[in-house]
Amino acid sequence: MNSKAAPDQTSPPLIAEPTSPTRQAWLMFRGNLSAMAGLVILLLILFVAILGPSLYPVSPTEMVWMPLTPPGASEYWLGTDYIGRDILAGLINGGRVTIAIGLAAASITFVIGVTIGALAGFYGGWVDNLLMRVTEFFQVLPNLLFAMIVVMLFSASLTNVAIAIGIVSWTATARLTRAEFMRIREMEYVKAERAIGARNRRLIWSVILPNAAPPLVVVSALSTGSAILFEAGLSFLGLSDPNAMSWGRMIGDNRPYILDSWWGVTFPGVAIFLTVLAICLVGDGLNDAFNPKLRQR
Amino acid sequence: MSSPLLSVRDLEIAFRIGDSDVPVVRDLSFDVHHGETLGIVGESGCGKSITALSLMGLIPTPPGRISRGQILFQGEDLVQAGETRLRQIRGREISMVFQEPMTSLNPVFTIGEQIAETVRAHFSVSRREARDRAIEMLRLVEIPAAEKRVDNYPHQLSGGMRQRVMIAIALACEPKLLIADEPTTALDVTVQAQIFDLFLNLQQKTKAAIILITHDIGAVAEMTDRVMVMYAGRKIEEAPVDDFINRPMHPYARGLISCIPRLSADPSNEPEPLFEIPGVVPGARQLGAAGCAFAPRCANVLERCREDTPALEMKREAHPVACWNNVEYPA
Amino acid sequence: MAFPGLLRAAIVRRACNVLLLLLAVLVLNFSLIHLAPGDPVEALVGEMGGATPELIAQLRVQYGLDQPFIVQLMVYLGNVVQGDLGVSTYYNRPVTALVLERIGPTLLLVTSSLFSAIVLGTLLGVFSAQRRRSPLSHLVTVLSLAGFSAPVFWLGIMLILMFSVAIPILPISGMSSGDSSQGIWLYCLDVGQHLVLPALTLALIYLAFYSRLSRTSMIDVLDADYVRTARAKGLSQRQVIYKHALRNAILPVVTFAGLQFGQVLSGAVLVETVFAWPGLGTLAYESILRRDAPTLLGILFFSAMIVIAMNVFTDIVYRLVDPRIKAR
Repeated sequence: MNSKAAPDQTSPPLIAEPTSPTRQAWLMFRGNLSAMAGLVILLLILFVAILGPSLYPVSPTEMVWMPLTPPGASEYWLGTDYIGRDILAGLINGGRVTIAIGLAAASITFVIGVTIGALAGFYGGWVDNLLMRVTEFFQVLPNLLFAMIVVMLFSASLTNVAIAIGIVSWTATARLTRAEFMRIREMEYVKAERAIGARNRRLIWSVILPNAAPPLVVVSALSTGSAILFEAGLSFLGLSDPNAMSWGRMIGDNRPYILDSWWGVTFPGVAIFLTVLAICLVGDGLNDAFNPKLRQR
Repeated sequence: MSSPLLSVRDLEIAFRIGDSDVPVVRDLSFDVHHGETLGIVGESGCGKSITALSLMGLIPTPPGRISRGQILFQGEDLVQAGETRLRQIRGREISMVFQEPMTSLNPVFTIGEQIAETVRAHFSVSRREARDRAIEMLRLVEIPAAEKRVDNYPHQLSGGMRQRVMIAIALACEPKLLIADEPTTALDVTVQAQIFDLFLNLQQKTKAAIILITHDIGAVAEMTDRVMVMYAGRKIEEAPVDDFINRPMHPYARGLISCIPRLSADPSNEPEPLFEIPGVVPGARQLGAAGCAFAPRCANVLERCREDTPALEMKREAHPVACWNNVEYPA
Repeated sequence: MAFPGLLRAAIVRRACNVLLLLLAVLVLNFSLIHLAPGDPVEALVGEMGGATPELIAQLRVQYGLDQPFIVQLMVYLGNVVQGDLGVSTYYNRPVTALVLERIGPTLLLVTSSLFSAIVLGTLLGVFSAQRRRSPLSHLVTVLSLAGFSAPVFWLGIMLILMFSVAIPILPISGMSSGDSSQGIWLYCLDVGQHLVLPALTLALIYLAFYSRLSRTSMIDVLDADYVRTARAKGLSQRQVIYKHALRNAILPVVTFAGLQFGQVLSGAVLVETVFAWPGLGTLAYESILRRDAPTLLGILFFSAMIVIAMNVFTDIVYRLVDPRIKAR
């Protein structure tokens, strides 16, 4: 009888060792040079923001030297502003405020956006219609103007600023969440769960949401960056907490003096730029890591 | 016999995968004569589509390139031809119909415009004349109410109709060679039959040579004059169609023919189990290896098969086969 | 058009949608006025230096402040329909007049920036999509990230430092040098010179978005089957790219342009403040400083109107470009 040919030794084993999607994503992220650079910068900035004031205990709000001292001309490496405040101290302390508000606002954005998007995407019908009208309304409102008004009317504390930013920024997250929920809702495994009697709550929390997580993580990273820029804009206009020194405020305060001191406006801006850039690089890296098919060639 | 319309000689196509060059097509030589239909059969991944693209110079060039060989079309070597010359030939002398009618038409232009622009690209005619030609072509491919349909957008047509439009585009400039790459794979079975009938009709009318790439042996039997079998980037058998269907010689070709399920003469009989060729097609990494690529799956494999790549031998008249075995076909 | 009835119905539905949105904005506006701590009458009384309770009550009636909320809202809406958005508490002039004065410069700034950003961005995206490994392509990716990350007001200040202070070739601020004796051409040139830096600032930020978007979109489209068909027909490279590919690749750009117009106005507020450009943005900023609520809310309403109009406009453009979209 014919002997079947021996199994081909050169073909690869049929079952490779399984790696979880999270681990795969992390490996891909780690291989991405710019994403890792962004992560390193971000960790550095966080380090400075958290431990900086202890390691460099100069007050950012008191006069410590002659006003308008250029960088490198004194022991205050980045110079002083028009009152004589240390720019470097301002950067270190301002980081805390900026990052805190950025994270707080992004969290509010996330909570509102995901809730509305999930409900609209999952239930569809009149719920979807109603929520989309609301979303459209918030999208049409010019967000900076509205935030300005809210802050003006309700006093400019850090909490209010964070809330104001959160309220005007959630529409993109909502749209994305809705699209993801609508897409995943139609997938086979969701229908299977429904067929065995899973309740809506379980479907939303344990089935759809984890699968929708990757793009939501990416958009949250980006919305943190946006929130930081937004806060910078508000404090530049003088609409943030007067007791808090933030980077945007430094730029706004020093603006009338740029003809005499370029350093007062330049360095805080560089700080904002680097922070947001790092966040964007990390966000992009996450995007590529979760979607290897869409990776930029 | 007059000289062939198309003559491919020792064609080799390489793709850059990772950091090595993988030969996805090797030592490929075949001819196509005026007015004949050549079928190219093989499983997915055997290199038949890439061969078709290479004939038109449409291989995506960062990863792929023609590394050796000649493609002589009416005596002119297309491998050496520049992009300008190739553009003159595409759509005019050689055209192609692709596999996916749903996505092969541009959704934002009317079908009439997509046919007419082919004509305008190769002939200096007015827009009016080109449009008239488009309507004429739509009638040729049997689309009803052509004068109205000419202003439709692709999304307003079914899959079968879209494929007819693709054929209309391909034939608009009366090419000498039409390449059809799995033209009906994405279509309904009933529509498949219609499209093949259309092909037969059109061939009689236009006298174009056709290369039909397919894995449907039934279509091959109906439409082709000669058949060529490819496996792992090589030609392993070639024969006139009757000879191929009734007396295939290469074990792989025999496997393909055996795969066709047969209706049992007596319906009360137990249906025979479907025949399948064991194993899978070699992956990209195995393509450069020595020896017969089919050896791992062959029931008649010899020691020699693993070491030496078999060359094409003329085992019967006009019937070259690449196999070390000399298994006679049971009478 | 095949179904005129359906199209008309869609237009009507859209119009209702727009009106509903505007109404919602107005209600919000009105509610915000009422949420503002402080009573207009009290403010007035404060300026008058005090008044008797009877006078206060009389003022309340005069201003309609004793009426229920709904009635006041109706009155407000009625006023708006007639074009009356209230009176500025700082200028003592109708808000509508103030806004109309300032809207021109803002529109000039926004349209010139957006136009340059979209056109240049699309071209850059198309170029770099075709030459993916080239330095240009990497530059586009890097610049687009940088453009998104830099705060727009800081960018403006940096540009001032570079081109008005360090190398003084462009004016620092304002819209014109104020010389009213110039002829119309010299005036345009003057405004144009002042427009360069503010428009450049806004444009750079959005250039980042659009070049990245069009690059990604173009890369996707170039892989599509219909592009391969176009090549197989023997069409020239220019026809393949600019006729077949671009027409499809531009769809996400159009969509995005419509969606982000609100952001563009926000950016304009900041840029106008930096450059003292006499538009709605500076008016808004000044109104904040002067606690001039009516003006601020009037600007909010006007901006919302502009954004809605832009949404409708982009919708129309999208339908023109993509024949697959039938009446919704």
